[in-house]
Amino acid sequence: MRWELSAEQADFRSVLADWLGGTCPPETLRGWLDAGDHASFEERFVCEGWFGVGSPEDLGGEGGGLVELALAAEELGRRAAPSAAWLGSMLALPALAGMPEAAKALLADGVTTVLASSAGVVPTAETGVTGDGSRLGGTVGTVLAADRARRLVVPVGGERPSLQLVEVDQPGVRIRLRALTDRSRSVADVELDGAHGTAIPLEGPEVLEAAALRAAVLVAADALGVMEQMLDSTVEYTLQRKQFAVPIGSFQAVKHAAAEMLVKVESARSIVYLAAASVEAGHPDAPLHAAAAKAQVCGAASAAADAALTLHGAIGYTWEHDLQIFYKRAKLDAELFGSPAAWNDRLADRLALVPGAPA
Amino acid sequence: MDFELTDDQSTIRDAVRDLAGKFDDQYWLEHDRDKQFPTEFYDALATGGWLGITTPEEYGGHGFGITEASILIEEVAKSGGGMNAASAIHLSIFGMHPVIKHGSDELKKRTLPRIVDGSLHVCFGVTEPGAGLDTTRITTFARREGDHYRVNGRKVWISKAVESEKVLLLTRTQKVDEVAKKTDGMTLFLTDLDRSRIDIRPIPKMGRNAVTSNELFIDDLMIPVEDRVGEEGKGFTYILDGLNPERMLVAAEALGLGRVALDRAVTYGNQREVFGRPIGMNQGLQFPLADSLARLDAAELVLRKATWLYDQGKPCGREANTAKYLCADAGFQAADRALQTHGGMGYSEEYNVARYFREARLLKIAPLSQEMVLNYLGSHVLGLPRSY
Ligand SMILES: Cc1cc2nc3c(=O)[nH]c(=O)nc-3n(C[C@H](O)[C@H](O)[C@H](O)COP(=O)(O)OP(=O)(O)OC[C@H]3O[C@@H](n4cnc5c(N)ncnc54)[C@H](O)[C@@H]3O)c2cc1C
Repeated sequence: MRWELSAEQADFRSVLADWLGGTCPPETLRGWLDAGDHASFEERFVCEGWFGVGSPEDLGGEGGGLVELALAAEELGRRAAPSAAWLGSMLALPALAGMPEAAKALLADGVTTVLASSAGVVPTAETGVTGDGSRLGGTVGTVLAADRARRLVVPVGGERPSLQLVEVDQPGVRIRLRALTDRSRSVADVELDGAHGTAIPLEGPEVLEAAALRAAVLVAADALGVMEQMLDSTVEYTLQRKQFAVPIGSFQAVKHAAAEMLVKVESARSIVYLAAASVEAGHPDAPLHAAAAKAQVCGAASAAADAALTLHGAIGYTWEHDLQIFYKRAKLDAELFGSPAAWNDRLADRLALVPGAPA
Repeated sequence: MDFELTDDQSTIRDAVRDLAGKFDDQYWLEHDRDKQFPTEFYDALATGGWLGITTPEEYGGHGFGITEASILIEEVAKSGGGMNAASAIHLSIFGMHPVIKHGSDELKKRTLPRIVDGSLHVCFGVTEPGAGLDTTRITTFARREGDHYRVNGRKVWISKAVESEKVLLLTRTQKVDEVAKKTDGMTLFLTDLDRSRIDIRPIPKMGRNAVTSNELFIDDLMIPVEDRVGEEGKGFTYILDGLNPERMLVAAEALGLGRVALDRAVTYGNQREVFGRPIGMNQGLQFPLADSLARLDAAELVLRKATWLYDQGKPCGREANTAKYLCADAGFQAADRALQTHGGMGYSEEYNVARYFREARLLKIAPLSQEMVLNYLGSHVLGLPRSY
């Protein structure tokens, strides 16, 4: 089997990487994070037309699919860009396929619309919101980029949830920003009390399953980008830092730790693109690929972050050094939309394993 | 707190080191290869009086504790004799414990002095095809007929049975469904391995090949009542008494094996030159060996604490199990790393580490698997619900 990026995909990636290099260099990023300003980046990202890439043209997008989105997520992760609003929107998109106007508003006009699912669990989990379109009630905790959103896609009800499109700017909706250790993303609690919504004419469970698979692929891709950045900067540091009159990178134990990171990066790359293409194509094994990507890549990135910190010694432990930004992003990616354990469980559920021995 | 060995203990360590050191690598390599019991080694220990180290003085032994016994067996393993050397004498060192504690005077007088002088080889017959870790599932049955018991059944893995005159045999005298507690109704014997009634077949196995492990097919074996250890029906509790010391001895064997493996790795790491320098200069090789040293040292401390507690008559289940777990793990890891350090030569028999590797692997399985240690610690020490 041979699979590689098309010329257009490779081009897209390098142009986006260049653009991010100019728009989101470390000093600028630090300024934004210190000021709690995600808007400056988001506006530029929308204005330059990046938002529509990876979404269908008939919904107002620029064409392409999940592979393009994964490439974007990877590059955004590599820069630790404040991309929560983008990610939250990309997860809402399967729901908006049922409301082309709302999709166009999101993709073409920048009306940020995010999925109101708790960031700590797989998006198929129940939200606890109840009611009908004229009166919705309940609280969804820690919704990714809810503070950035103008509209929310809200899953309502238990077993087979329905979906409601809810305007944030109305009396029945309260958004409470929560503090995250990873300052390059944001979450907020969504409190609904008599909120109005518009029913989305699609089957909730199918849409949420699609959103879950997209979440798995895109968070894994983000983690891959973060991990690549940590590897590059760690190798650079070990060549620069001298102890015992030689670069610390000349010590074998240090080399080996960096090599282990490289192994993680390479295997992560293989599964992330495969999962993206598989979910995009609706392959029967797509749920397995997505789960493997989320569990393996995010777990690996979290471990790589620990290795990077070790190799930087005390400097990595400081606020001044950029490593902390990526370290925290990797740690959040591990938990974002389901931990490795949660996704391993989904994997196990789909495999023909021996059932647990009776108690 | 005091970490010094007593004078007696250091004397024992040095003397055993000297004596076991007389049997070189070639001796063990050949005995393992040819599946030959190390008779000369066994006799040397017997002549030196070492087999009676824990046997009470009134039966000709030295009456030392498990601390001294573990030091002895650790040195034996560490000499390069490994598990072949340890298993040759293991049962003599502490295996008679149930007999010493619960046997009749007559039985003790008849057997213990011969354990000490080495003329009596014994083996331990517990495991059965259907009863591994779950000992209460044994089915070998002893039916009382006048002043004898008629025994039928099957045992498996019984080490040294080929070389032994007697067996410490665990049987059922009541079926498991006839007793209130499944640990009741089991009876222990110390009796002759009557070859006309017991068919003994060695099991081809991965390592420790100088000492056999065997299947026993027991067909109408007649055991005189005098050979019964203690009371009928209490055999399981007698065995239980010996479990902690057994774990400590096995821990000591694993430790000794790990030590010798590490020594060989260090020697080779200093000697062998690749890319113009000793391979031990590479952190990739040096660090795993340093790590193994740290792990062996830590495991040793728990073992010493466990044996000290036991000899003081204090509870030691937690420490004995932990010692078995950590020593088996550290010992195997050291053997694995020693093999890796030797590169291709590690895979040849010539450098001995392949033998240590095969032997060290055993201690993660028998006499008690690592998983069962965790079961013990999880439920008995931490108070979590029993999982099985
Ligand atoms: C070389 C050798 C020499 C031996 N010498 C003797 C001897 O002289 N006399 C004698 O009586 N026996 C002897 N044995 C047998 C030895 O004691 C048993 O092999 C050991 O007790 C394990 O039993 P088993 O092999 O039946 O494993 P099983 O009980 O079948 O267990 C198989 C696996 O399942 C796991 N397992 C089982 N139950 C649980 C549980 N509840 N929770 C978690 N994991 C579990 C075990 O850890 C193991 O990994 C010897 C074995 C060997 C290999």
